[in-house]
Amino acid sequence: MLQITLGIITSVGGFLEIGSVTTAVQAGASFQYQLLWAILLGTICLIFLVEMSGRLAAVSKHTIVEATRERFGFPFFFIVLVGMVLVAFLVLVAELGGIGLSLQILTGIGFPWWAIPVSFIVWILMWKGTFSLIENGASLLGLVTLSFAVAAVKLHPEWGGVAHGMLPTFPGDQKAKYWFVAVSILGASISPYLMYFYSSGAIEDEWDESYIPINRFISTFGMSLGGFLSMAVLVVAALVFHPMGIDIQKFEQASLLLTTALPKWGFFLFAMSMLFACLGAALEISLAIAYFFAQGFGWNWSEDLNPARDARFCSTYTIIIMLAAVPLLFGVDPIRVTIMAMALTSATLPLAIVPFLFLMNDPIYLREHRNGWISNTVVAIIVLISFVLAVISIPLEIIGG
Amino acid sequence: MKRFLVISIALVAACKSPTPTEQMDSIQSWLAAAGMVGDAWLRHTTPDKYSRQTLDLTRETLLQLARDLLKAPPHSVDSVALRLVLTRSREHVARMARLIEEKNAPDFARQLDSLRADRRVIKLLFDSIESGQ
Amino acid sequence: MKLVRDVLDKELLDREEEPMGRVDGLLMHVGKNSQPRVTHIDIGGPVPWERVHPFFGRLSRRLAQLWGPKRREQVRIPWSRVETVGRDIKLDVEARETGAIDWEIWIARHIIEHIPGSGHEEAGDGH
Repeated sequence: MLQITLGIITSVGGFLEIGSVTTAVQAGASFQYQLLWAILLGTICLIFLVEMSGRLAAVSKHTIVEATRERFGFPFFFIVLVGMVLVAFLVLVAELGGIGLSLQILTGIGFPWWAIPVSFIVWILMWKGTFSLIENGASLLGLVTLSFAVAAVKLHPEWGGVAHGMLPTFPGDQKAKYWFVAVSILGASISPYLMYFYSSGAIEDEWDESYIPINRFISTFGMSLGGFLSMAVLVVAALVFHPMGIDIQKFEQASLLLTTALPKWGFFLFAMSMLFACLGAALEISLAIAYFFAQGFGWNWSEDLNPARDARFCSTYTIIIMLAAVPLLFGVDPIRVTIMAMALTSATLPLAIVPFLFLMNDPIYLREHRNGWISNTVVAIIVLISFVLAVISIPLEIIGG
Repeated sequence: MKRFLVISIALVAACKSPTPTEQMDSIQSWLAAAGMVGDAWLRHTTPDKYSRQTLDLTRETLLQLARDLLKAPPHSVDSVALRLVLTRSREHVARMARLIEEKNAPDFARQLDSLRADRRVIKLLFDSIESGQ
Repeated sequence: MKLVRDVLDKELLDREEEPMGRVDGLLMHVGKNSQPRVTHIDIGGPVPWERVHPFFGRLSRRLAQLWGPKRREQVRIPWSRVETVGRDIKLDVEARETGAIDWEIWIARHIIEHIPGSGHEEAGDGH
């Protein structure tokens, strides 16, 4: 029971981060409830993908990365590595920036000044922490994001409109922006690094076939709660910013999100929510990138080992975190990086998902626990939609300025 | 290499600047956000430093947006009136930021009301652009 | 046994079940009057990079000369040392003696152990 609860908390705490919040706020401010369907679609896809990640690890005792290298060989694995690591790195820059921005609005000290302290804190948590501490600690802190749900309910949204937003609609105007934000939402929801992290976690926690039902429960309820929180962010933004015609461009503007519904604590709850959510995400992404290298090349790896026992694994996340701080030191806007990273995630999803679907249908790895036609169909369709939308809308958004 | 350069130049040339409508939308959005910050500060729901810094950011952004818009103002608008109200709204935002430092809520509230009045004027000018199209 | 499916790119474990890399390449002997047979497993070095493209193989060689343990010979394990082939491949060798984890030891010794909290004083196998 404890394991299930912790697993769900992990999923909730890990879902919200700067990407999902930024895209949801922009969607609500610009298009009211119209883009709720994108969050719904992304969440459904993620539920399937996370469940599959856990099932692969539990049955085959392989992480996704290990299985990808073994099944497809080094040359193909290298292409996936480059694509996934580059995009994950951008997301890491965004998350570290998110922590910096949260500290900026709380203290008045600009986010570039926070780049080094924040990176150091993320690094020290990984250096000294264990997998359980990171997984559970960050997620428990991330529960402060429940304040978004509280705010949404307190603002008394028109529930009919909210329900209507769950169905895809075509935009009236600002078409290029609408589809670009939709693509960014999908990229924010369907994050490959979550899959790699989850499958590695299942191996770290020594899952076996008996964990399959628990895995299904955790992925369904955990990701659903996370998606629900993202929708809450969109609903609040729709009620607070849209009527005033505010188009959210900067984090400082987004920081007002909870001040209407929760006057006394709203500002601080937003800052703390973003701080903890981005911290959790930064830890997960750093680990996911290090796992990618270590598992792919056959190094010793585990967050539970002392760094001296898995030197290359620890060097990898150390270098990654240091490099991710550099753009922030130079004042690169984390929000811009976020939007770009989310859209690029959508565009590169097939690189992660197509080999993964092959693995999930391979009897050598999954035996009788292979994917059914529903899993294959749902994932394939949603990823195809994300990719097509990304390929069309990214150039349109660039051209449209 | 040549082909790549040609395509890049074409793409860059295709990157159009925002239209006057989009520029006015942006200005209105920033002014609305400044109003929201002002309301929040008066209700003591946001800290002084954050409120002041956000208003400073607003002023800088409005300056840039106004410069871009006034380079080629729309034909159907009184550009003198537009320039005047944009300058005035920036001054209101700047004064609001200073009044936060002085913790002078009554004068701040008056500046906020003036800012709202400027927003209404800008909206009227914006509507005249739309109807002129 | 299917070499590509069951052997190539599989994880290698030594006698102590410590990871020592992956099967990056296989050396085979093709005799005139005999069946081709695997003679050695290649680990690391330029081998996996050459599979991507010869350019990466050359780059890998050049970088390895500039930095790190500067090992000259390719890490090559005789096939006779293979104990079992399953989820991973277990070898009857000591990882440390093969040179397969030279990079791991070098990075641990030259970088990681100088950082406080690395836990190297607790590591039983001692670097």
